[in-house]
Amino acid sequence: MSARVLGALAVADFRERVRRPAYAVVLLAAVGLGYLAAPAAGAHWTIVNAGDYRGVYGSAYIGAVTALAGALWLSAAGFYVVRTAIARDEHTGVGQLLAATPLRTSTYLVGKFLSNLLVLGSMTAALAGTALVMQLARGESRAVHPVDLLLPFVLFTLPVLALTATAAVLFETIPVLRSGFGNVLWCFVALTAMIAGQSAGAPLGGLGVHVFAASVRDEFAAQGIRVTEVAIGLMYADDPPRAVGFSGVDFSAAFAGQRLVAVLLAIAVAAVPALWFGRFDPARAVVPAVPTAVTVTAVQPFVSYQMVLSKARVRRGRALARLVAGETRILVAGVSRWWWLGVAALVVAGAAAPVRASGPLLIAAWIWPVLIWSRLGTRAAEAGVEGLLGGYPSPVRRALAQWLAGVALTALVGAGAGARLAAAGDLAGWLAGVVFIPALALALGLVSRTHRLFQAIYPPLWYAVLNDIRGLDFMGALPGGPHPILVGGAAALLVTASLATVAARHARR
Amino acid sequence: MFELIDVTKVYKGQKRAVDGVTMRLGTGVVGLLGPNGAGKSSLMRIAATVTRPTSGRVLFEGTDTVAKPDALRRHLGYLPQDFGVYPNLTAREFLSYLAAVKGLSARSARARVDELLRLVGLAEAAKRPLGRYSGGMLRRVGIAQTLLADPRVLMVDEPTAGLDPQERVRFRNLLSELAADRLVLLSTHIVSDVESVADDIAIVAQGRLLRRGTPEQLLRAVAGHVWETVVAPETVAAVQARHMVSRMVRTADGVRLRLLSTTRPDPDAALVPPDLEDAYLGAVGGIREVAR
Repeated sequence: MSARVLGALAVADFRERVRRPAYAVVLLAAVGLGYLAAPAAGAHWTIVNAGDYRGVYGSAYIGAVTALAGALWLSAAGFYVVRTAIARDEHTGVGQLLAATPLRTSTYLVGKFLSNLLVLGSMTAALAGTALVMQLARGESRAVHPVDLLLPFVLFTLPVLALTATAAVLFETIPVLRSGFGNVLWCFVALTAMIAGQSAGAPLGGLGVHVFAASVRDEFAAQGIRVTEVAIGLMYADDPPRAVGFSGVDFSAAFAGQRLVAVLLAIAVAAVPALWFGRFDPARAVVPAVPTAVTVTAVQPFVSYQMVLSKARVRRGRALARLVAGETRILVAGVSRWWWLGVAALVVAGAAAPVRASGPLLIAAWIWPVLIWSRLGTRAAEAGVEGLLGGYPSPVRRALAQWLAGVALTALVGAGAGARLAAAGDLAGWLAGVVFIPALALALGLVSRTHRLFQAIYPPLWYAVLNDIRGLDFMGALPGGPHPILVGGAAALLVTASLATVAARHARR
Repeated sequence: MFELIDVTKVYKGQKRAVDGVTMRLGTGVVGLLGPNGAGKSSLMRIAATVTRPTSGRVLFEGTDTVAKPDALRRHLGYLPQDFGVYPNLTAREFLSYLAAVKGLSARSARARVDELLRLVGLAEAAKRPLGRYSGGMLRRVGIAQTLLADPRVLMVDEPTAGLDPQERVRFRNLLSELAADRLVLLSTHIVSDVESVADDIAIVAQGRLLRRGTPEQLLRAVAGHVWETVVAPETVAAVQARHMVSRMVRTADGVRLRLLSTTRPDPDAALVPPDLEDAYLGAVGGIREVAR
């Protein structure tokens, strides 16, 4: 495995990614995270829960806290940023060129891992830069100590991101995880890692929160403050935490060793898919990437226009219903019979269960089509049909038809529980959910032009409802949730924003 | 019927893809000929309402299509150079969907899709998912969708890419047939495609309209400037440096060259009648002695 080849692969891929406009958004998000990590003295939100206290915003504290925020959030969200390195090579055809060279498959995969890590590393660099700016902006301590500021990024953030970079390579090379299912699965993997990674027993040092917590406890105790629990997240504080001195995290050699092992493990695991990776050979793909052979007899020569076409004038008519039908067909095209069997089971279970079980069954039903919903607003762009449709009339009507197709699908999947709720005279919340979910999917799809954003945002929302967070109940599944008019209003706003986006893009075409 | 008036397109980064093009177009095939990167596709996208021009006007029967694109789109069939399809839909489903987008009535859509599938020779393959089609078959689907609404204006950008030679000939015949009562704007860099169907040829390069006319008018522009000569192989590079060489064939006597020049390039050179490729090269590359 030549270092020169690895470097060339990683740098070329990195350059390709950072020259895309979306990269600027990614860096801005990192800067935003850095801002969140150091709230103003009077703010009621915090990302570190250490009782009623926090460290003074010096290099050591701001560096540690921002680095932990990076380990927590960049690892979860960064996966979606870097998870198309191999797919892009397949899509652009570069993979075919590389496949015909003597490049070893393991080298290619490790190169992709390094490229992923470079992207995530550049986000970390933006985060570290923001930490420095925030330290100076908050003004509690203007003495800059580069080692105290940056070392947490090296030991807390980068090893976790190395594992994320490897996970992205793994997900791209395992057929079942390449699809949207992988995106949804990562949501739950990341949620689990966020919780489990904060414990002291987490493998390879986890997120490193326990190391930070031990230093906080020791330092605060030396100042007569007893801290029982330290956790990382985005939390509301009734009273703004008070600032106390903090000289830095006490990194042990053992912890540094664990982090080194994590990075080495990440590199090693990135090469493992070489055992099964098809090297862009369509014959080894689970789903053929290129058209399979069609018998020549199926194709007849062009014939004369006059011979074939009737003299009857082409007539226009009401086409919205057929347009919605067409969009519905596009939405569910290629879905397996097993998926439809799942829908049937959910509908029957929802209809047969007592009305008190309608809420849980509705929650179960409305995660099932998550991958289908994510196609809303993205299919034309992702299939390359936009160029063809550019010369067709009424783009706003098409977007509306897409939403209606989504509404139809949502209603169908939730029909069982909906029927029970209707019988109980409690259908308003269900109806609000039916219009809200496709509205959210359409808006996110149209804005991002990729299915990944909805696949990353919807599962945590759904998970919140599953965990009885009533304020976020957009389905009408929990008692005491938001009023259906509120949810319906949000849906109306999202649809309006979607249609306005289409109209604005069309005007700027 | 269709007018482009001083149309200019400047992309971000100041690349001037189309530079003050003015054309008035009626029924018949108009061939838009130019080298790769000449701005043909940009001009086609502007004409097809896919892209707005930076300046200039596009009129369809007097209506400004930049401000009111649907006025043209209802009567337009457009085939871009590159396009995608929904791979899990069949050809029939895909065309039916596009017919609904065009606003065709259910009865018209059904009949039209059947007829068009027969027209492009895909009736037997109509129930297969498009993901299993070859490149040439997908191109046929693209051609079929342009005719869904029996358009009065047909714009096809490099339509013969991916078609085999027989299919290309048949497709060109189809274009001729269609042009009897509508405008067909055919963009290509393949001279033979235009030569066989277009009675009106516009040559563009670097975003500008260099020359426009009937094939006869274009040929007249280079008449007396096309020569054939046989030279020693070692002198070919020197001849190429001085003249626009359009053809080169290695023979037992040396290398036979066909070249464009305002003066006899060597004493043995013979004047030959020009063809459209000479006219095209003369317009795009210039006849070098003239430039001097």
